[in-house]
Amino acid sequence: MTSTRSRPDATGLPVAGWRETGRELWRTSRGRRAGMFAVAVVGLVSAALGLAMPVVLGTLINAVHAGTADAATVWWTVAVMVATATAGAVGAAVTAVLAGRIYQTMLAELRERLVSKAMQLPQGVVERAGTGDLVARASDDVAQVADAAQRVVPALTSAAFTIVVSFAGMAALDWRYGLALTVTLPVYLLALRWYLRTAPQVYQAERTATGDRAQQILESLRGFETVQALGLGDRRHHRVIRASWEVVRHSLRARTVQNMFVGRLNVAEYVGLSAILVTGCLLIGAGQSTIGAATTAMLVFLRLARPVTQLLMVIDVLQSALASLNRIIGVVTMPTTGDTPPSAPPSDPAVARLCGVAFGYPGGGRVLHGVDLTVGRGERVAVVGASGAGKTTLAALLAGIHIPDEGTVTRPVDTVMISQDTHVFAGTLRDNLTLATPGASDLDLEAALHRTGAAGLLDLPDGLDTALGAAGRALTPAQAQQIALARVVLADPELAIFDEATAEAGSSYAELLDRSADAALHGRAGLVIAHRLSQAAVCDRIVVMAGGRVVESGSHAELTASDGPYAQLWCSWSTATGSAGDGPRAAEEARRA
Amino acid sequence: MSPGDRAGLGRGPLTRRLPVFGQASAEPPATTPFPLVAGEGARRFTTRVALSAKRLTVPAAALCIVQNVAGALVPVIMGLAIDRALQTGDLARLSGWLVLLGAVFVALTLSLRFSALLAARAVELVEHRLRSTLSGSVLHPPDGRVPQADGVILATTTNDLTRLSTAVNLGVYPVGELAGIAFVAVSLFTIHWPLGLTVLLGAPVMVWLMGALSGPFARSARHAQALLADAVGRATDLVTGYRVIKGVRAEQEATRRYRRESRAALDGAYRNTGSLGRYLAGSNSISGVFVAGVAGLAGFFAVTGDITIGELITVAGLTQALLVPLNLLTANAGAVGAAAVGSGGRVLDLLRSATSAPTPEGRVPDVTPVPSLELAVGGHEPVHVEPGALVGLRTDDRTAARIVTALLAPRAPDDLVDVRVDGIRADRLDPAQYRSRIVVAPHEATMFSGTVADNLDLPGATAQHRRTALWAAACDDFVHSSRDGLGTEVGENGNRLSGGQRQRLALARAYAADPPVLVLHEPATAVDSVTGTTIAARLRRAREPQSGHPRSTLVITASPALLGGCDRVVELAPALPPVDGDENGGTR
Repeated sequence: MTSTRSRPDATGLPVAGWRETGRELWRTSRGRRAGMFAVAVVGLVSAALGLAMPVVLGTLINAVHAGTADAATVWWTVAVMVATATAGAVGAAVTAVLAGRIYQTMLAELRERLVSKAMQLPQGVVERAGTGDLVARASDDVAQVADAAQRVVPALTSAAFTIVVSFAGMAALDWRYGLALTVTLPVYLLALRWYLRTAPQVYQAERTATGDRAQQILESLRGFETVQALGLGDRRHHRVIRASWEVVRHSLRARTVQNMFVGRLNVAEYVGLSAILVTGCLLIGAGQSTIGAATTAMLVFLRLARPVTQLLMVIDVLQSALASLNRIIGVVTMPTTGDTPPSAPPSDPAVARLCGVAFGYPGGGRVLHGVDLTVGRGERVAVVGASGAGKTTLAALLAGIHIPDEGTVTRPVDTVMISQDTHVFAGTLRDNLTLATPGASDLDLEAALHRTGAAGLLDLPDGLDTALGAAGRALTPAQAQQIALARVVLADPELAIFDEATAEAGSSYAELLDRSADAALHGRAGLVIAHRLSQAAVCDRIVVMAGGRVVESGSHAELTASDGPYAQLWCSWSTATGSAGDGPRAAEEARRA
Repeated sequence: MSPGDRAGLGRGPLTRRLPVFGQASAEPPATTPFPLVAGEGARRFTTRVALSAKRLTVPAAALCIVQNVAGALVPVIMGLAIDRALQTGDLARLSGWLVLLGAVFVALTLSLRFSALLAARAVELVEHRLRSTLSGSVLHPPDGRVPQADGVILATTTNDLTRLSTAVNLGVYPVGELAGIAFVAVSLFTIHWPLGLTVLLGAPVMVWLMGALSGPFARSARHAQALLADAVGRATDLVTGYRVIKGVRAEQEATRRYRRESRAALDGAYRNTGSLGRYLAGSNSISGVFVAGVAGLAGFFAVTGDITIGELITVAGLTQALLVPLNLLTANAGAVGAAAVGSGGRVLDLLRSATSAPTPEGRVPDVTPVPSLELAVGGHEPVHVEPGALVGLRTDDRTAARIVTALLAPRAPDDLVDVRVDGIRADRLDPAQYRSRIVVAPHEATMFSGTVADNLDLPGATAQHRRTALWAAACDDFVHSSRDGLGTEVGENGNRLSGGQRQRLALARAYAADPPVLVLHEPATAVDSVTGTTIAARLRRAREPQSGHPRSTLVITASPALLGGCDRVVELAPALPPVDGDENGGTR
């Protein structure tokens, strides 16, 4: 955390240094600096108004002591106290509101920039870092900074101003009272140092335990069928209880640490009050101060004790919020380099080309060696091969996720890729479908679902308004895949890349999904990474890969006629599924239907 | 953590040998379920929860009273010291007061520490007990009655329970704070009775006024929190679906959707700071004016000579001492109470739902240890699975899905599927007995975070069962080849395994359960053809009786390889009419 520049470590996304975070915050504050100045002014003034009460009470005591006080003195005192208390309260409220709003607005801007930047970043960068890191920053870190607002903003504004003003006031009253206060500083600093060394990991452990507890409960809920079917109720119950008890243990530890800290702050308060008494005693003994002044000093210190405690108790929250901020700003300030491969000119008969492409992942060996591949306009090309042959990498290079080490890639701007990840977004079925085409009408959506053979989704209880995703209805992987395919129909791209898009689906759904995929590819060029050979057999051309090279290429008929690797694959596959010669015909019929 | 600091509480060489009080034991204690009272409302239930740990909360409240009185004594002693010792300028005389002040601080800090610890312990124990109760009756019901929607249960068993349990604090802190206020009032009475009377009459009005102000603020704070959670949830959701968004180039739309949620959260935060401002302005002016009034009144009495100058200083200190408990009482008690009652209502509903579910009427018939299973589907000839049989069933997806649903949770027969066990309608059986005889491994199996061994730890599964199961499900490659073997972590819902590995482990788990009748639904769809053939070949061996009793198996699948591994294959024609000209992708 000492570096001052973004340092993208080996794999992770960068974390901003303090200086960079400061710079970025200053930039984000543009247009709100007048507001921040107002916070400082109003905050200081209202904190200063809070000093009026101890001062006028001290004056009154001196006047009574001297015998010069009358009813008018008291009236004045009361009037000043009431006026300053009200004005101070309103001022403090205005400060808290202004500061809170500035904080929240800046945070909203930062989190929106974070998500926007996450979406713009070259996919290869994010893939290398892992999307988990990005998810954590967009959720945990943003929540951490937002939660801090509730406690940190009032503490920072009112408490900090009160502390500044009280020290100043004390020194103005008599610099020696101010000096007396400084003896508390080492006690406070030692207590704070101890707290910052001890508390964060204790609180972190408490949060982890709480997270695990929610996790165990969620797993029991999600797996309710499995738990019941296999009679796991007792075992799951004990795991939930154990997780719940871990929270008890860590919470009690955390409270103990907090109590120990408060105990240390009590010591500081005692030291401060004693110092005031001793100073007052010496000064009054020497005839240099009055009991009124001593009372004022005491009242000021008593008023100070609470804000100081409040501020110190949130230092650890502030610390972790700042660490989260560094992680947010690390992403926000990342450069976005535009590196879309050029598209082929309209005169080119091929819609996409890979020429002599070689590629290896950082820190690993070469995965692809001099691969040449063209996809003609409207042509459907299947890529088959054993796992590890480089099929997925090939698709990723064509999709522009990775940049080749050697060779060139051309593809249309209008390219859509479906990967094996079938995430269903929280929201309605309509929201899920319109992701790529926000303007699509309900009729378009229904047509797309019909075309991909997924009209069954319209039978969900609320039709297009059915809530899906984490909080909504759970879909089968096959249904999730159908939504992805309907999205392709709606987006209507020139080139569609399907990377094992239907590999995970149940075998009884596979045929159905094959037909859906087929419909989604209708009228456009397609590159299909085929897991089952029935998918490959219906394509115009099949490319067989092995060891990062293209070893065979041709139509299903050509390849099965020759005695190459594809013919062998086909033979073993059709024996295993017991449908020799049946696959392509059935699929072909489906395609015509 | 320094080496000698075994408690991990950051204690230095001076303090690390002191005993640590109030920590929780390593093992969860046995808890008794929280009892339900018929006809009880949310408010009474919450009160009963708040008072359910009196052994801890009563001493905590007593200590809290000590703490608040000591807190109020600090300014009083300061005032007396200024009046009696400072006037003389005699340090020797002052030292006595310093010792007294020190003694008060010792009382203050010790009572604070232990009352906080006891209260925290009470809250935690009550929360743990309630959670254990809910876990036993709702999350893991002994008889398998299906609970209500996930989201509600999750929120109730986590956040609502936490909020309800903080009601326990209401038996501790407000008691101490009220005692603090009372102490100030009594002290003022002894100085000059009109002052005491003013506080005694004024304090309740203040408490009421400030409480009324804090209510809207607490509500808007909860609202703002919920909106923020939505925005955070949206970000998590979008970034989790990152590859999908990039794949269809929906970056702008995704950003736009997030922005919408983020702006709503910002609006909520704006409104919340607004109500925070109103609350701060209101409560601070009211308390400031009240303190000014009392101090001013004391000033009048000092001018008229009714009280001494020393007493005036003491009053000034006491009014400061009044502010702390007053603020705490009004800012916390009302809001905590209201939130606890709201959450209490939801917890109560959930607890009741578990106990009010219907039980099968009449005498529950018993079935044999290895019963025969009979499935009648939509007017077709019934499918029989006799003890020890290995039957393959091939049908369309929708019919298969209906059969699995009917087997998972037997209900009265609908027009489509009728399940009979030993000739008895399955819904007539005791659910626990049904589940002990017939285990259905659904196609969408859930894995639990933990190791491979944890996931295979089933009631009655021996080490031998587990070994055979792993072998038969063709898990040897990834389980035995990995460094940790059975100790390999599978991740949340098995996400550290590939789809194929997950499916094979789920199959191994079903085998390891070794039930009399096992129903498998498409157990090997995500595996390659070679592995699929291996699994089919080992199917019979996996279900060989290991304890003398025969084992029967029904495999619902379209896989020719698996069907080939069965003794007998039944083909069922589609029992449902096709939907609107196209087939359904397995709608649940």
